[in-house]
Amino acid sequence: MSILNVFNSPTTFALATCVMADRRRINGPPGGTRPAIYATSLPSIKDADRARRQRQPSELRKIFLKTGLIPSASGSSYLEFEPSASLAAARANPKSLIPPSSALKLACTVHGPKPLPRSVAFSPNIVLTTHVKYAPFAARKRKGHIRDASERDLGVHLETALRGAIIAERWPKSGLDITITIIEAEDDRWWGDAPDSHDASWGMMNVLAGCINAASAAIADAHIDCLDLVSGGVAALVTDNDGGAPQLMLDTDPAEHRSIVSACVVGYMPARDEITALWLKGGTSKAALDEQDGRSGHEALVDGAVDAARGAHMVLGEAVKESMERALGQTT
Amino acid sequence: MAITILPPVVDDLGHRPPYHAESDDSMSVDSDEDIDMTGTGSRPHKRPRLGGKIGTGVVTPGEVVTDDPQWMRGHGTYINPLSTSIIATVAGTVHKTNKLLSVHPLRARYTPEIGDLVVGRIVEVQSRRWKVDVAAPLLAQLPLSAINLPGGILRRRTSADELQIRSFFSEGDLVVAEVQSVHQDGSASLHTRSLKYGKLRNGVFLAVAGTGGSGASSSNVKGGVGSGSSGAGANPGGAGGVVRSRRQVWTADTANGGGEVDIILGVNGYIWISKHTDGAAAASSTTENVSITRMEEMVSSSIYSSQNDEIAPQTRREIARLAQCIQVLVQGGVRVEEGTVMGAYEASLQVDLEVGDDGEDEEDRQEGREYLEGSKARRILELEVQQR
Amino acid sequence: MAAQQKASSASQTPHLSPAELSYLYTSLSLPQNPIRPDGRSPTQFRPLTAEPDILPGTNGSARIGFADGTQAVVGVKAEVEKTVLSADTLDASNLSQQQGDFAAQEGRDGREGAGSAAVAGHGSWVQVSIEIPGFRDDDALPVFLSEMMRESLVGSVAGGNDSSDEMAGGLKGRLVINKRWHWRLYIDSQGEEDPFFDDDWAVAEHLYPRGTTNSTVKLSSSVPQVRPPITLLVISVGENTIFDPSREEIAVADAVLAISVARDGGDKNLKLLSIRTIDPPSRLTQPAVPNSENVNALGATAPTEDVAVLNPATGEEEVPGVWRPRRGGVKRSVIAQMVKTVLKKGGVGEEVLEGLEGVEVE
Repeated sequence: MSILNVFNSPTTFALATCVMADRRRINGPPGGTRPAIYATSLPSIKDADRARRQRQPSELRKIFLKTGLIPSASGSSYLEFEPSASLAAARANPKSLIPPSSALKLACTVHGPKPLPRSVAFSPNIVLTTHVKYAPFAARKRKGHIRDASERDLGVHLETALRGAIIAERWPKSGLDITITIIEAEDDRWWGDAPDSHDASWGMMNVLAGCINAASAAIADAHIDCLDLVSGGVAALVTDNDGGAPQLMLDTDPAEHRSIVSACVVGYMPARDEITALWLKGGTSKAALDEQDGRSGHEALVDGAVDAARGAHMVLGEAVKESMERALGQTT
Repeated sequence: MAITILPPVVDDLGHRPPYHAESDDSMSVDSDEDIDMTGTGSRPHKRPRLGGKIGTGVVTPGEVVTDDPQWMRGHGTYINPLSTSIIATVAGTVHKTNKLLSVHPLRARYTPEIGDLVVGRIVEVQSRRWKVDVAAPLLAQLPLSAINLPGGILRRRTSADELQIRSFFSEGDLVVAEVQSVHQDGSASLHTRSLKYGKLRNGVFLAVAGTGGSGASSSNVKGGVGSGSSGAGANPGGAGGVVRSRRQVWTADTANGGGEVDIILGVNGYIWISKHTDGAAAASSTTENVSITRMEEMVSSSIYSSQNDEIAPQTRREIARLAQCIQVLVQGGVRVEEGTVMGAYEASLQVDLEVGDDGEDEEDRQEGREYLEGSKARRILELEVQQR
Repeated sequence: MAAQQKASSASQTPHLSPAELSYLYTSLSLPQNPIRPDGRSPTQFRPLTAEPDILPGTNGSARIGFADGTQAVVGVKAEVEKTVLSADTLDASNLSQQQGDFAAQEGRDGREGAGSAAVAGHGSWVQVSIEIPGFRDDDALPVFLSEMMRESLVGSVAGGNDSSDEMAGGLKGRLVINKRWHWRLYIDSQGEEDPFFDDDWAVAEHLYPRGTTNSTVKLSSSVPQVRPPITLLVISVGENTIFDPSREEIAVADAVLAISVARDGGDKNLKLLSIRTIDPPSRLTQPAVPNSENVNALGATAPTEDVAVLNPATGEEEVPGVWRPRRGGVKRSVIAQMVKTVLKKGGVGEEVLEGLEGVEVE
């Protein structure tokens, strides 16, 4: 108990985590640690060094997605976003020890359908359980071993997105566990910006979109009946110039933008043109839209996210097809 | 106006004595033989009152009700060994039946008794029986052998029936059934071996407090209604609810083109209001005037169906109105039975006609407190103003 | 075990029978005016009582009660806390500040005052916790709820920064005392009685603005009062949009959205803060068996002509009177319609805000 008292400073999510502090490990200090950076090694952080978006507003990052990598799971997938141009440049020619941005990497495993334990009540539908966990080293700030509020929140969003796509009554009395490990998370802002400049966790929305895509591929890999490959997409209204009206951009990397006004992530099924999950944050009223555009800001934002999801859906379809072909090649 | 936010109302607990029978006429509906010990004095007693030993009508747990050894202890009491004092174990009113002393709690849980008509919800399916939630402390059981099997009620159950047990009743289904027996532990065993019973459909469910009996306590509360329960309808503690009465099931002829509507008041406080169907008509005519062969058809066709018939919007509206009437009764602490429900329904229709100026007697005002044109809030406010 | 917990919290709705679900769905999806079980109009809320400032030991508190007896109590506590530059904030702005090279960022962010990294406040200074009886505090629902509330609260700042003159209106900006100290705000909500989650939900969502109103007023009485955001629970059934749904109504919803709005600065327009979909429990329900397929009804019944009808809202074929669990998602047009009902001039969002403004904080 004394250990818990020492290490649980009030700055952690007090009510959520203190109650259930990890008793199995000796926890590190909750504030997180990072290697010492000497001020002299950073002669000056100039605004010019910040990462900038080099894609078109409607251009998506490339996605690497592969299924069936974990043999012990009934379905699995690995997803990676293309590193941004600035990250690639920094790797080739390192000027600083701090990488300018990060790129999403996550792994998803699906276990099931498997019988529900005896203690669980009868369910006419498949019982979906989602579990999203950041690896401790995934973000710039270290995450604990216990899922914090944001990780559980992601799990709920993911469950909402997937449940709409799975045909649940095909698998009565069974359970399906979906576990996602985030190996590298998206930044919430450019690392050089103070954490308050836009401190809403915009990176989480990209992570969620990645989770949806990876889980969708893994579910297809596990041969669970679905209405469609549900895919995730992100769009945001960003201001890169002072005083400029927010522009709609698809698949935004928060590290590449000065300020994100609002962002939206959807789980989307192109075949039915339906949204299974929607999470929109921030004001949308000031979006710069065409004069003729009759849509309001949030509608444009949702439409943008849907467009991004459509793009991801193509990758998803390819990846699933590819794994099927690979399996066919092995059997024949 | 989409939303109504009312100022906080000072709770009227201080000046509302819910346990005193203030109006004696309310006792006339009390069919029990119980003698109320609340004794506000005006009511003639059948028997001389106990001596000064039993002073108050309301006792709290641990309070000595009497130390006179002539009394036998009933529900809600206990006796210390080596002592003759009867001590209350629940808070409530003291009742005596002959030489039996019992304490009836103001808000009781439903305790099943043989012959009760109950509405229950299946919560668990086991290999040869269902577990049914009947609002009692323990789940009731409904054995496969206690239902009418399709293809003739006189058929023995087979292993095929066991295998497709979910095709009769599944989790979440509502059934109307009768308590066949009560076990030692107080759990009930149900049966549906009558055409009156079976799966419920074509309607809405609502759960109110079902005390199961004790008509006295519900009638007592009525006196308190007028004095101050107008506080934004926030009177959930009222002891109103379904009581055992002669008719638990009846068909009402509703206004506004609603047609006939069946109402089933489960003794346990679960209520089902549904569109009246022809099949049910034959079944609910309590006498068994259907031939055995005809019966067989009935069993097969409707009892295990989960498909709703077509129900006109007018009927739905009247069903909703009836459901609200019952809710209003419960919130007002009035007991729920055929008379009060239909009274409330009539009153709601009347208020519907003369919106605004309802200067009737107490009963009507209370019962008319209903969603009219979908504006319950305005109603409550109006009533509140009137009462001041 | 985990599966059980999850299932119980995600689908914390009554087990309704297929016949009930079908009845409810059809009633609620009637074109033009749906019939709600309690007779309300689609946009009508249950009447509630609100009472601010009930706990003298808090910096702000409120109690909300519904007619059915559901209650919730919120207390807001503010504590002074030293502004710690955590590892997370040990970043370029601090370093560059030390080197006197801060001007560029200073001007860009339009900040005033000393160059503390936390001068505009930090979202984690606001802590929301919601306690609902019957739920563990790490269940999905309370976590989801408190995140949702914190998000719209903190989110009101992101917008605030943007609308230049309203920068001080954001809650977290006002928590700053000076560059070394700040307020930390604890918002704790206790649902009471009735474990019906959506009731507590609705309660909490109304309560929340009250609580924060109190706190913001207390904290910065000199700042012109800015109304806190509200979160509305909206469901869509068939082609109808229904507000303040009851437990049973949620159980049959095609889509459930939580929409947070706030006043946009001084003008009367409403500003959208966030939208979240909530997993509709109707996806987890038990299907009904049509009479034509019911093994127990075979033979005896006259074959009923059950013609499957296309439900325009879901795009699925359905036999009337037979409940099918909802499948798939929701059309974009439906979401747009729901948001529009909240946001439009004289819409529901405005009415609710006006109603809340009626409850004055003394």
